[in-house]
Amino acid sequence: MNPLIRRGIRERLRPKNLVASGLFSIISCATLYLASFFDGMQQVIPANESESGLPELISMPVNGAREAFTVLLVLQGFFLMFLGTGRVASVTAEEKEAGLLDYQRMTPMNPFSKILGYLFGLPAREYFMFLITLPFLLHCMVVGKIPLLNLFQLYAVFFCSVILYHLTAHVIGLVVPKPRAASWVARLAVLGLYVFLPVLGQAGISFLSFLTILPTYFGKIVPHLLAEGNQTLGRFERQVVDFWEEIPFFTYQVSPTTFTFVMQGLILLALFATAYRKWRLDSLPAFSKPMAIGLFGILQILLLGSLWPFFSQGEASGLLGQSLQLDPTKAGLPNQLKNDSLPAISMIVVQSTYFLLNLASLLLLINVCCPDPHRQLKGRQRSGKLGMSRIPALADEAPGGLFVCVLVCISTVVYAVLHLLAVSSETVQSVAPSAQSVLLPGLVLLFTALALRAAREQWFNLGFWGFVGLLWLTPMLACLVLAVDDFLGNSQLMLNIASLSPLTFFPQLMVFLAPDIFPDPNPLINLSTSIKIGVITSAILAIFLSITLFRTLKK
Amino acid sequence: MIEVKDLKLHYGDFVAVNQLTFSVKPGSIYGLIGPNGAGKTSAIKAIATLLEPTFGDILVEGISVLHQPEQARGVLGYMPDFPPIYEDLKVWEFCDLFAQAYGLSGEEKQAKVLQSLHATGLKEQMHDLCKTLSRGMRQRALLAKTLVHEPSVLLLDEPAANLDPKSRIDLRNILKKLAGDGKTILISSHILSEIEDTCDSLGFMRDGRMALSGTLDEISRQKDRATHLKIHLLEPHPALREVISKIPSLSQVEEITTCKTKFRVSLDGGEKEASQALAKLVETGVPVSEFIFQKPRVEELFLELESAPKEREKK
Repeated sequence: MNPLIRRGIRERLRPKNLVASGLFSIISCATLYLASFFDGMQQVIPANESESGLPELISMPVNGAREAFTVLLVLQGFFLMFLGTGRVASVTAEEKEAGLLDYQRMTPMNPFSKILGYLFGLPAREYFMFLITLPFLLHCMVVGKIPLLNLFQLYAVFFCSVILYHLTAHVIGLVVPKPRAASWVARLAVLGLYVFLPVLGQAGISFLSFLTILPTYFGKIVPHLLAEGNQTLGRFERQVVDFWEEIPFFTYQVSPTTFTFVMQGLILLALFATAYRKWRLDSLPAFSKPMAIGLFGILQILLLGSLWPFFSQGEASGLLGQSLQLDPTKAGLPNQLKNDSLPAISMIVVQSTYFLLNLASLLLLINVCCPDPHRQLKGRQRSGKLGMSRIPALADEAPGGLFVCVLVCISTVVYAVLHLLAVSSETVQSVAPSAQSVLLPGLVLLFTALALRAAREQWFNLGFWGFVGLLWLTPMLACLVLAVDDFLGNSQLMLNIASLSPLTFFPQLMVFLAPDIFPDPNPLINLSTSIKIGVITSAILAIFLSITLFRTLKK
Repeated sequence: MIEVKDLKLHYGDFVAVNQLTFSVKPGSIYGLIGPNGAGKTSAIKAIATLLEPTFGDILVEGISVLHQPEQARGVLGYMPDFPPIYEDLKVWEFCDLFAQAYGLSGEEKQAKVLQSLHATGLKEQMHDLCKTLSRGMRQRALLAKTLVHEPSVLLLDEPAANLDPKSRIDLRNILKKLAGDGKTILISSHILSEIEDTCDSLGFMRDGRMALSGTLDEISRQKDRATHLKIHLLEPHPALREVISKIPSLSQVEEITTCKTKFRVSLDGGEKEASQALAKLVETGVPVSEFIFQKPRVEELFLELESAPKEREKK
């Protein structure tokens, strides 16, 4: 047995712990399960349907079990996803801080075995608590007549999600430089990645929804949890189930379980690779440059596949898809907008989301893969020692100029494909067929990435994050103050200031490039001015920072 | 064998270790000493594969720590300056975990665990939970864990920091035995007397650099320091100073006490010169009752080095 798993069992499953956690698990599970089981089991037969002519209370165990299933699943999720993730994050961070990870790092065990040991050893008690709930699950399946195959699919995805959450927590514990912050960062990351990010699935980027267990639950289990004799779903339930039943990806329809496995598998792969590097040597960046380019490429393929139906046929999943099906006159658009502007607005939302995701990915990858001055120095000295004229372009220590250009190229090509798809589509009319619609966002993305790279490579963490905070967030805060002061009077000034931050520039640019959605020209604002300011500022910043970086490196 | 060549380590723009070069032979104990922040722990961590150097080479048993860290880890035993342990494991389980992680199994594993617990005097506490151990006991548990896979190179950062006098003597004996078995041992410590008693050679680190390195005698010579002899007489000898002035290797006679029978004399040379001087004294009829060859004290050298002006290099 893996010694780290054995250690987890020894540490957390001593007889006293077994009794305490077992009792907690069995009492909480029995209380919640039986309460919902008995509640769901009671069924009232109305007077007009009963033989006696009076309302009758009959017992339907099948319905009780079906109602109790969701409660049981939530409790199992609480044990493994909530308690288990917290445990992995906090212990990894604590052990990193104390130096215990270094002991493990020094053992000749394969890093892969170490990762598995931490993933399954640390939450040993939580797995035991989960085991205690299994008899209830068996009862639920038999009495509730839930198909075994569907249940198997659900629990396969459930465990895949559990491992994903635990691995995320473990990687963050390994990566975050300040161990005290790690447990909080891990919790926030799990929330962000697997709770907030999936919400973007409602804005047409369907693949993001498949980072959780929900698609499989709604798509495979909910239809089998209907009360016996009532085989129709309510309106809301129908919508939810429809949303998850099949996933449009490029021109295919994919099953939610398959899609979830693929999505989670890709993330698991990336996290494993990161953890592997960190276990080998703590000072290695989380991703190598080729790995980062590969991950970015996969992200772009997923984005392309998810947005394909929207750009080619104007169809989208989630709330966006539902709103597109509405009658434009009943869509509740503000008076300032044209009645038929709903598709154009949806396009702006999707394009802005696309660019914001790209910005977030670029920021993450540049932060991780572009070497700080210390690492560059290391690379230069080493290459000098080995008699090489320069550091190999894909080495961790190599300057990231080429790397960011490749990332921006990939992103721009994908956006160009989507744009061409929309232009050539007969159903999508909300995209202006001009070259600047692709070139302008691509150019600003390149300037932003080059500025980030130059900042990363000449400053250490404080300088880099200070620069990002100052440039990306301060303009938005300034706009907030101006808006409170005089929204209408300051609107042009707000747009000009907001164009300085890439976060607010891209939505503006998308509105600027979209076909006119306003019925009358707005005398208060001129988007072309703010767009010019944004483009020129980003260009100046990229050039200025690149020059200062060049000078610093030359020194 | 440990070989460190031109090692350089940066933390951001701070140079923690700069052009550090030294080697430790198999079967010897090398002590790294220096004030806080001198770079001792960073250097040990770099040798232990836990910090990636900016520049330089580190070889342990001929394996490059930079290029083959996994292989190097197999021959290394590292004990950090703070004794973190798995609080909820029993002492034997703690050692067992690492024995297994280093690839031991079955009876061999059990034997090695018991052996390391026995060597560190923890056999009686083997069934106690680690969290119930005192700091000194934790240090022993950590040493037991470090020894369990019988590494050929031991890196011990402040190994005696929390130990009581008895445990320190035990530790010294353990280390000497291990060195006798051919292991290469590198120790960093603030306890200078401990280093003096335990180590065969020393390295004085300061501001990230190796200020002095070698055996105590070699260092003395590097520092151009005179070695001293302590001479006790049975009774006062009126011509002692005259006799000493005629022996070329001796100079500077100081009276240690007022009874004119205990003296401290500077010696220019090593043990050979001391032996010749003793022969000459006896030959001229000086009633020598005790003749002690006084090596330079590590403490004195350390203080001397400490008082020199600082020159921490920044990038």
